[in-house]
Parts: sequence; structure tokens; C-alpha cells
Amino acid sequence: MTDISIHGPLKPADITPEKSDDKQASESSFGSVLKDAISDINKLQNDADKSIAKVQLEDAGSIHEAMVALEKAGISFQVMMQVRNKILDAYQEVMRMQV
Amino acid sequence: MEFFTTFKICGSGLSVQRAKMDVVTSNLANVNTTSTPEGGPYKRKIIAFTPEPLKKGFDKALEGAVQAVKIQGITEDERDGRRVHDPAHPDADKDGYVVFPNVNAMVEMTEMITAGRAYEACATAFDAAKNMAVTALGIGK
Repeated sequence: MTDISIHGPLKPADITPEKSDDKQASESSFGSVLKDAISDINKLQNDADKSIAKVQLEDAGSIHEAMVALEKAGISFQVMMQVRNKILDAYQEVMRMQV
Repeated sequence: MEFFTTFKICGSGLSVQRAKMDVVTSNLANVNTTSTPEGGPYKRKIIAFTPEPLKKGFDKALEGAVQAVKIQGITEDERDGRRVHDPAHPDADKDGYVVFPNVNAMVEMTEMITAGRAYEACATAFDAAKNMAVTALGIGK
């Protein structure tokens, strides 16, 4: 057992959390982040609506711009749905907990 | 979201290629236009593109390296048009020659195909980026 030896005193693992991250987390709550994300998605949906109206009603703007706006809105909506699914899963997991 | 950067670049590419198509169709439509308000025959229009740096929403490592595209400007081809002897033509000069535009329909057709293919390529890149985003959303399912 001579090949396994400890040199110097053992130090505890450094578990002090970084101050800056901690502060940032307390400033923006999860709820407000979600709210911001949803309002961003709403804005993208509105942009898509506007660009479609531009193409269909005013006969201005281009098809590809409308399609790009639509895809942006669609993908951000899908992202939001995934986040919602995860939250619901977590909630149901908690509700199923045995007391 | 960083996927939107790809979409933005694709969108700019689609826009400029469509603008190029406009210029090409203008040239083709005026292939036989012998008089213009400025005088002389129609002059072939040439569109030029220039890169456009993306300002925000960017990965630091990519900043400045990835650029969208925009129209630099539309210039006129100053080469002489072809001269055709046609004394009955209203735009004929005193020797009976008419100057036709310096538009070559064959060149314009190749330009048109180039624009169409580049447009397709941008659309395909868009689809690929979208598929990547959808794949990312499927992680862990």
C-alpha cells in the first residue's frame, strides 16, 4: 500500500457558489423569464400576421419574407410548447408524489 | 435565438436573388426597346451585391465572419447596342440604322437560371436549418 499515499492535508471541495450568478438568478424569476419568452413569441406571431397581410391584402412585400416570418413564429411556438410540456411533466411528477 | 440568424441570412439571400430576377426580366422585356425617355435605346441593367454584416443576436466567435447580403447597386451596361439597317423603323437615324439595346437574350437566360438556382439554394438552406431546429426540439423525447 505504499504506492497510495496522500500528500498534504485534505481540503474540502470548493462549493462556494459564484456570487454574480446567484444575484442574476434572484433578479429574474422563472415566471418573468417565461412571461418574456411568451411575449417574444407573441410578437413573432404578430410579425408573421403582418407580413401575410402585406402579401395578401396590400400586394406588397414578398412571399419568402412572409414564409420566413411564419417559420420563425412556428419554431418559437414549438419551443414554447416544449417548455410547457416539461413544466407540466414536472408538476404532475410532484402531484404524484407519495405523502 | 441563434437559428434565427440562419433564417435572416437566408432571407437576405432570397431577397437579393429575387431582385436579380427583377432586373433580368426588365432586361428581357426591353430586349427590343429602341427609344427611352432619356434618349437612345434601353441599356442593359446590371445588379451587384455586397455583404452586409449582421449586428446583433450573434455568437461572439462568428461575429464579423458571417454576413448577410444586400444590393450594392444597379448600374447600366455602357457597351454599344447592335445596329440594324431598317429605314422604315421610327427610331432609324438618317442612314437608316436603328440601335437596338445591348441586351443579349441568351446571357439574360443564363443570369435568370443562376438567380433561380441561388434562390433554390437559399430556400434549401432555410429548410435544413429548420430541420436542425426541429431535431433539437426532439432531443430527449
